[in-house]
Amino acid sequence: MNPFLAQCRASFEAQATQEGTVEGSQRQAEWTRFEALGWPTTRLEDWKYTALSGLEKLSLHHSIEPREAVKGAPRALLEGIPAPRLVFVDGMFQPDQSMIEGLPKGVHLRFWSELDARERERFTQKMAPARALTAFGALNGALFTEGIWITVDAGCALETPLHLVKVSLTGQRMSHGALLLESEENSELTLREHCLGSTDQPAHSNWVTAIELAPQARLTLVKVQQEGLLSYHTAALHGLQRAGSQLQVFAFALSGALGRNDITLRLIEPHAECVLKGMYRVADRALQDFHTTIEHDSPHCTSDECFKGVLEGSGKAVFNGRVRVALDAQKTSSRQSNHNLLLSDKAEVNTKPQLEIFADDVKCSHGTTVGQLDEEQWFYLRTRGIAADLARTLLIQAFTLEIAEAIPHVDVRAEVRRLLGGTVEENGHV
Amino acid sequence: MLSIKNLQASVGDKAILKGINLEVKAGEVHAIMGPNGSGKSTLSNVLAGRENTTVTGGSVTYQGKDLLALAVEERAREGVFLAFQYPVEIPGVGNVYLLKAALNAQRKHRGLPELDAMDFLALVKDKMKLMEMNESMLYRAVNEGFSGGEKKRNEILQMVVLEPSLAILDETDSGLDIDALKVVSHGVNSLRSPERAMILVTHYQRLLDYIKPDFVHVLSDGRIQRSGGPELALELEREGYAWVGDAKNAGVVAP
Repeated sequence: MNPFLAQCRASFEAQATQEGTVEGSQRQAEWTRFEALGWPTTRLEDWKYTALSGLEKLSLHHSIEPREAVKGAPRALLEGIPAPRLVFVDGMFQPDQSMIEGLPKGVHLRFWSELDARERERFTQKMAPARALTAFGALNGALFTEGIWITVDAGCALETPLHLVKVSLTGQRMSHGALLLESEENSELTLREHCLGSTDQPAHSNWVTAIELAPQARLTLVKVQQEGLLSYHTAALHGLQRAGSQLQVFAFALSGALGRNDITLRLIEPHAECVLKGMYRVADRALQDFHTTIEHDSPHCTSDECFKGVLEGSGKAVFNGRVRVALDAQKTSSRQSNHNLLLSDKAEVNTKPQLEIFADDVKCSHGTTVGQLDEEQWFYLRTRGIAADLARTLLIQAFTLEIAEAIPHVDVRAEVRRLLGGTVEENGHV
Repeated sequence: MLSIKNLQASVGDKAILKGINLEVKAGEVHAIMGPNGSGKSTLSNVLAGRENTTVTGGSVTYQGKDLLALAVEERAREGVFLAFQYPVEIPGVGNVYLLKAALNAQRKHRGLPELDAMDFLALVKDKMKLMEMNESMLYRAVNEGFSGGEKKRNEILQMVVLEPSLAILDETDSGLDIDALKVVSHGVNSLRSPERAMILVTHYQRLLDYIKPDFVHVLSDGRIQRSGGPELALELEREGYAWVGDAKNAGVVAP
């Protein structure tokens, strides 16, 4: 057993022993499933280009307290993240850092640590499809210490985005959190997920998110990974959409040693719409991997997926985009694209569109490109006196900015644009 | 201002310029005319520093400096401006950002303070009126989705904002209708001054009805075959380029 797994096992046993039988047995079931799936290696098709050898060697501590206040709270990191916000540090909820007073009546927050046995069972059931996506999902089920359950009441439209902040602070730690988000009919919410790190030591974040949208519910999730250079990030997201619901997921992987996002969105009733857009940026020795699946299970649904990648140095990326259109999902409209900018000879991207279409009256398109910076654009900027380096930076930003421009919420869009260094302003500021 | 001596250049392994000699003094406007494939665009590219063009001989001196030794962006900051035949679309880079960055790069190079947002906008809006451009174009991406005429206006807008010492206009009239041509010419003419020189590269005489050159040169087969005053352009209009040995490009009058 590798050092990483040894620590996982120790944490699992400590928690199973501490807890009553119900959760103990749930943990046991997930642990057994994890062991049965086996540690992901490059021999598995889904992990072919994503080697976890770096993570295997780490011996990371796992704190099993759901909400231990962390000393030296990351005030500087949290500055500028407005209320309402929920802050987790090293996987533990931080009530003192969080600001949730301003939430409207229709938005309910519950924490795993406060749930009764029946509620826990229900939470666990609803998390199951997300945890089923990867071995890390099973590991999450076996090890997680805190979960958060957000419910948005029917008709409740929250204009202010809700911020979920996950900080790797201490280093040499792993964190396993769970988020369940249920949006009732015709509700609206924007969730901005911040994955931050203030440690220059290795850390591992392994969160699982399950989303369920009732008919006509609208949800936007904007996630940005900005963790430390030695951090590992694994995350699974499962979205379930009912009639006429709209789910928009934006995922930006901007830093970290290794990131793996498994995202599955299921359109199970007619006229549901999903947008899945992302961007990854990898520098020397870093890797980002997006494995996405969009399942059209019902007719008259649309999906719009676009991922863009910028690869420098010996950076690597993986994009695997599966779209499945079931036999009776007629009148499906589905678009997928993946565009990559390779800025060095050593950089590598493995991109694979995977369309499985069983219905015959559908509109589905996909496209993949791998290319370099446009010499003509670069030359043009330089003829206007822009320094060669700046011109290059501008063009890289411009390439990625398209993803940020699609974010519906104006403040979140502006914030992400700033993170990407954008130069196209909407409101006349120079 | 600009002294080109025996300039030779090739694209790939094909020799395009075979010994160009040209003296341009401050205050002068020179038109370089010639049939397709004569080397007109290569000459503009060499002056601006395009990397797919290799200089194989000769020299270019600009304001006493070896122009060919300067990087593309250094040439721009020293006051050389190329208006592109085909202006490039750059999605994601704001037009207003490019204008401000370009102007401030030049000011910084000259030891001047950078303009703040207010002064800059006042300046640009003034120049946009001159070019009869809608202000909303400032907040769009560079040339993205612009019509052919809008792109050319945008080129000249950049030029009137940057006020170059040496402006090279590469086929600026191509793709312009008569109204746009008047606006563009008006912008160019507004920059004419005793300190400034211009090189108009054009296939057709039409542009020269609006921007009167002091000198006209006929380029063919990589060399200047003939030089003269504005009357030379009229002669070309009457007789075509056939006499310079290129029958297939004999037409000079705009179609």
